Amino acid sequence: MKKNRLSRRAVLRGSGVTIALPLLEAMQGNRTHASAMIPAPRRLAFFYIPNGVVQSAWNMNEVGRDYQLSPTLQPIESVREEILVLSNLDRIKVAGTDGHAQASTCWLSSAAPDELSPAGYPLKRTIDQIVADSAGRETSFRSLELSCNPYEDNRESIYFDNISWFGHGHVARSMRDPIEVFNRLFRVEEYTNSTSVLDLVMEDARSLGVKLSAQDRHKLAEYTEAVRTVEKQITRVRQRQHDIAKLNPTTPIKAWQAMRRDEFIQVMGDLMILALQSDLTRVATLMTGPERWGSPLNVEGWFEKPIQHHSWTHGQHNAEIRKQLERLDLFHIEQFVQLVKKMRDIKEGDGTLLDNTAFMLGSGLSSGEHHVCNNLPSVIAGRCGGAIKTGQHVRYAEGTPIANLWRSLAMAMGVNVRRVGDSTGLISEIS
Amino acid sequence: MMHRSSPPHLLVFLLLAVFWLDAAGTRTAIIAQEGNGTSNNDSETGSPTRTVVFEADDSNATIFDYHQIKGRKSSGSRFGRREGELDFELTGNSRIQSMTSFGTQWSGNAHLLWDGVVGESMNSSFDVDRTGVYDVMIQLTLAGDYGLFRMTLPNTSVNREIDLYSPRVELAPTIVLKKVRLEAGRQPIAFKLIGANNKARKYRNRGYLMGLDFIQLTPTDMPHNSGNTGAENSQDHQKIVDAVTNQRNPDTATVENSKAMTTQQLAEFTRAFCIDCHNGESSDTEVNFAHAVNGQNWQQDPELLRLARNAINHHEMPPETADQPDAAQRRAAAATLNALLTDYLLEHQNHAPTTMRRMTRYEYNNAVRDLLQLRGDIYPLPEKTLRGSHDYFRPATGQSPRAILIGNRTLGKNQVERQILTGVTPFAIDLQAEGGFNNRGEELGFSPILLESLLRLGKTIVHSPEFDGYCGLTESLFSAPESTTKLDLEARQRISRFLERAFRSPVEHATINRYCDYFAVRLKQTNSFRHAMKDVVAAILASPRFVYLAEASGTTSKSQHDSYALATRLSFFLWSSIPDDELLATARDGSLLDPQVLDEQTQRMLTDPKCHALTQNFARQWLRLDQLVTAVPDFERFPRYYSRIGCEQWKFGLQTMIEPLLLFDSIVMEDRSIMLLIDSNYTYRSDELQSWYTDEVPFGDRENRNRFNTNQQQYKRRSLTDRREGGVITTAATMTMTSSPLRTNPITRGAWVATVILNRPPPPPPDIVPPIEADDREIESSGLTLRQRLKQHQSGATCAACHSKIDPLGFALENYDAIGRWRNEYASGLKIDSSGELLGKLKFHDVVELKDELLRHPELFMRAFSEHLLSYALGRQLKVSDEPAVNTILSKVMDARGQFTTVVRAITQSHAFRFHGHEPSPKASEMPVPAMPVPAMPVPDAKGKQ
Repeated sequence: MKKNRLSRRAVLRGSGVTIALPLLEAMQGNRTHASAMIPAPRRLAFFYIPNGVVQSAWNMNEVGRDYQLSPTLQPIESVREEILVLSNLDRIKVAGTDGHAQASTCWLSSAAPDELSPAGYPLKRTIDQIVADSAGRETSFRSLELSCNPYEDNRESIYFDNISWFGHGHVARSMRDPIEVFNRLFRVEEYTNSTSVLDLVMEDARSLGVKLSAQDRHKLAEYTEAVRTVEKQITRVRQRQHDIAKLNPTTPIKAWQAMRRDEFIQVMGDLMILALQSDLTRVATLMTGPERWGSPLNVEGWFEKPIQHHSWTHGQHNAEIRKQLERLDLFHIEQFVQLVKKMRDIKEGDGTLLDNTAFMLGSGLSSGEHHVCNNLPSVIAGRCGGAIKTGQHVRYAEGTPIANLWRSLAMAMGVNVRRVGDSTGLISEIS
Repeated sequence: MMHRSSPPHLLVFLLLAVFWLDAAGTRTAIIAQEGNGTSNNDSETGSPTRTVVFEADDSNATIFDYHQIKGRKSSGSRFGRREGELDFELTGNSRIQSMTSFGTQWSGNAHLLWDGVVGESMNSSFDVDRTGVYDVMIQLTLAGDYGLFRMTLPNTSVNREIDLYSPRVELAPTIVLKKVRLEAGRQPIAFKLIGANNKARKYRNRGYLMGLDFIQLTPTDMPHNSGNTGAENSQDHQKIVDAVTNQRNPDTATVENSKAMTTQQLAEFTRAFCIDCHNGESSDTEVNFAHAVNGQNWQQDPELLRLARNAINHHEMPPETADQPDAAQRRAAAATLNALLTDYLLEHQNHAPTTMRRMTRYEYNNAVRDLLQLRGDIYPLPEKTLRGSHDYFRPATGQSPRAILIGNRTLGKNQVERQILTGVTPFAIDLQAEGGFNNRGEELGFSPILLESLLRLGKTIVHSPEFDGYCGLTESLFSAPESTTKLDLEARQRISRFLERAFRSPVEHATINRYCDYFAVRLKQTNSFRHAMKDVVAAILASPRFVYLAEASGTTSKSQHDSYALATRLSFFLWSSIPDDELLATARDGSLLDPQVLDEQTQRMLTDPKCHALTQNFARQWLRLDQLVTAVPDFERFPRYYSRIGCEQWKFGLQTMIEPLLLFDSIVMEDRSIMLLIDSNYTYRSDELQSWYTDEVPFGDRENRNRFNTNQQQYKRRSLTDRREGGVITTAATMTMTSSPLRTNPITRGAWVATVILNRPPPPPPDIVPPIEADDREIESSGLTLRQRLKQHQSGATCAACHSKIDPLGFALENYDAIGRWRNEYASGLKIDSSGELLGKLKFHDVVELKDELLRHPELFMRAFSEHLLSYALGRQLKVSDEPAVNTILSKVMDARGQFTTVVRAITQSHAFRFHGHEPSPKASEMPVPAMPVPAMPVPDAKGKQ
């Protein structure tokens, strides 16, 4: 049986920097030798597109294997055997809170309206974090949260900018600087000898905690939880220090502010893939951009002038605007498919990285025009170790909660969750 | 489980509705005195001043010239009234009693109630701002079981007997003590129970009661504001008295001469005017009165009460198209709702607690800088916009410089320092709450990534090559002592002193021991005192006791913060940093808990250059200036907004952004009135920015290369004579960031004014938003102005209900184009209509009249600004329960004509700032939910948090 391997050179596309992966043995250290007979780990990753999609160009009539791809989904033709398209999955809309903020914060939790944070959004632990509770036990990093938020102003609050939440009012803040992401994954020596410091500050947390109110102790738990996570991280990173050293990656040098839009998304995607491939983590979320954020944005090569994604979504009954918006949707699908192909090209055992991954594209809104939450765009690439029946389009009964999908994906990752948000059951295409 | 199409629980709706409407705090009441100027003299006799909802025409009212307010000498609370229920220390049996069931004549609808047996005393105290001679007016309550008292003001000759018996519960004749000399500070007062009227019955068969409504101090020896003529003075004086009295409880004021409704009458009113829409079934509104019509449930829901009171009081409801109550009905309904609300607030005297929070990255920078006495910042922060090339911000001088050489870190070229200490990089920026600030615990989370950053930061800061030359503690903390004999002892002393400063609290031995042990281990490993001590400091910089602003939990809502927590709260409010040694000393000896010491420290700190944080951190967020960063006026339409340097393109926003911040700076430094933020007769501009406002074609015929300076610029103080300029609203910065690329955006502008200037943020737009052409030329080609087009677009009643309030504030600014330059007409020659109404009542024809209305009703902006600053100071969203605190602050601010230090001092003196919040018993729907669902499969992960 073949062993897990990394490709010889992983290229951080566009940033002009290559990560040299000189030795196949790099990832064939003691760990993989010992686990030669153990199947490759399963991974779960999410690719978020904000503000919904143009429904008329997205939806498809036919279901089953021989469905005709809609205009927006054309790019998946080249990988359609790897893809499961799901229609009619819904999220509960929480009346009275902002349609966009809840799209990002509630997408992966499907939290119900009676589960409000003080700020007004339901913020239950999201499915990626629930899965990471188990899947993150063996990897250096329990999970990875990335964002290609391209805006340099700070117009919106954290609710628009994050899809991953540890829980009530506790955000798993996404990283948006590829250089920082890189350093986090590969340049960890700066804090790996911090064990004794962690002991000190943990004691400080204890001495602080006794004086606090219940609410504040809850807040302090964020800190102590971070300490425990980092402690484990240090142990695991140390165990794999040898492997990581052999990867000998080079820090990317180009600042994200200077990247083209597609370049930014691909570089972030590459970092995510690299982390999944080298088993530094098994759970990742990647936001292509934040919700709403009414600032103009350059999408080089696709649009001549800065685009206004959010205001376009509200103007899409105008045919001219709709056409532009469809083009932007297409751009996002194109980015997704490029990453899918990269994952497919990475051999892993007898299959590929993609075979062992569920990589899902979606949005917390189906259409941004009226902030609709029914029939959310949902596309899964990869079979997650054989758990997912790809190569088809499935339309579920109207009103099927997307939370059923979250349960099923968790199940595919070996995590049995009895209920997520408003879930009513499981998705039959995932077992 | 909720059915996906069914409407959520009523309470959730209401909470949400209120959250949205009141994102940043409590709401402004629109009150003013009677328009014809026939104000009464009731205040002289002590009975509550009669006031009414103002019904427009008061255009003759004079406008005070707020430029007269300058200097650090506070004018004191000249007309301030000390409310029994708010401003007196409650000791012994003293408590607050709501008086609404006895009538509406009690000031604030409540008084201080005390009971005891003969021989006991009600002892209390109140604040006197300034030593002087006062006429003291004392308002007490009479009732059947009230006793005979001897009142003493211990430091004066005042000593008299008062019989509080009356067969009815009513106000006592006002006692006026002429020319009493009072010392500044806390003034004790005592009422000794010495017996009772023969007719009085005993309270609980043992003693008697007394009630104190208020004490009002009128200085007899203080000159009025310099610069005022006598004639203006008396008018002004009366005006302020009225305004202050109104503000104490603004919405009672609307109605004090109107009769309260019975529960039955209120229910009928609701049925007649509200329930057609607010019945829980309409899709246009989430406000539901169906459960409240019987009058019972009103009392349970203060947010709903406030929503209803304000909507009725402000003529926001019923909508124009619906049946309207007559003026008397409206007043009576507002009064009744206000009384119910006041009852509730008094019974639940309790403000919301502040959630413990970590420092923001801006605060972390300042805290580390001050803790280690660094010469400057630890890392470059683009959000710290103003980059002065000299230390121009020196508030102790009381004078803002004539010229300031300054750059823009956020947008300017070469203004963000590449790196300050090698290898030290900040963590991610903390985003602002919607309609609020970035210092709220709910949103300042903590994650593994942040902990990694802090571990790295601590280490890289102290071990950076530049550190020793940059740090003021190199000798005293890090250098090895000469004698090695008592090395351990010396290290221990240094560590324990440092820990107290870093943790802003006493540090117990166990903690000191742990850090000393760590020092010993590191000393052994590195064989370097300096290195080991740096490692200790690095660890401290990642400790939760350093990075969290924690306040020990209070046992009751009346328990004061401990002195250390109060010191931390104060220093983070004014400096965005830790306390300095002097402040820490007042925490150590507990004296800071004395309101007078607290006030002295507040005033001292306001003269420290570190309070520049109020501009850099508060003002920038308050004005939402961040939105200017990504404003992109169309390149072809507005080419002059752009300049090319090399291959890079720069935006003129880098210069416009500085103007409102320097105006704010000058108000802080010179201690001027916050009303200058509405209208100022001076501003700070570079020559190029001046050209932007005044020249037909700015920058002359310069080509698009090097059109304007992108580095530092000389900003000169310039007098303004044209009232279309001045203040923050009409600056090019505000006008540009509230526009779209191809046109102005009156709705965005109106929402900005409503949120920033009036603190009445509009509700979020509905899900269905019809689009409007992105280019005003396109609109004009059809012969319509933008205003006419928007009017068409909002023909539906649902849209109009909100937009009729938001949009006029934006249309008032239509003469400023999308890059903030004045225009008399649209490009097509169509006429600009900038007339409108402020809050539905105050009519104006153009922007200057809008400013006039805001100046004529200063309580609007003073309240909004006080609320914003209080919310920032507390690090939380204001709640309806903060209304009494805001009213007290506002009356002081009104007294002082908006003088900046008064706003700050009133906030630090407020109950909400000094005392613990208390967690209310959670309602079912607000119960915290477990952080994660319980997985069915065993998750042996030790840290499982359920």
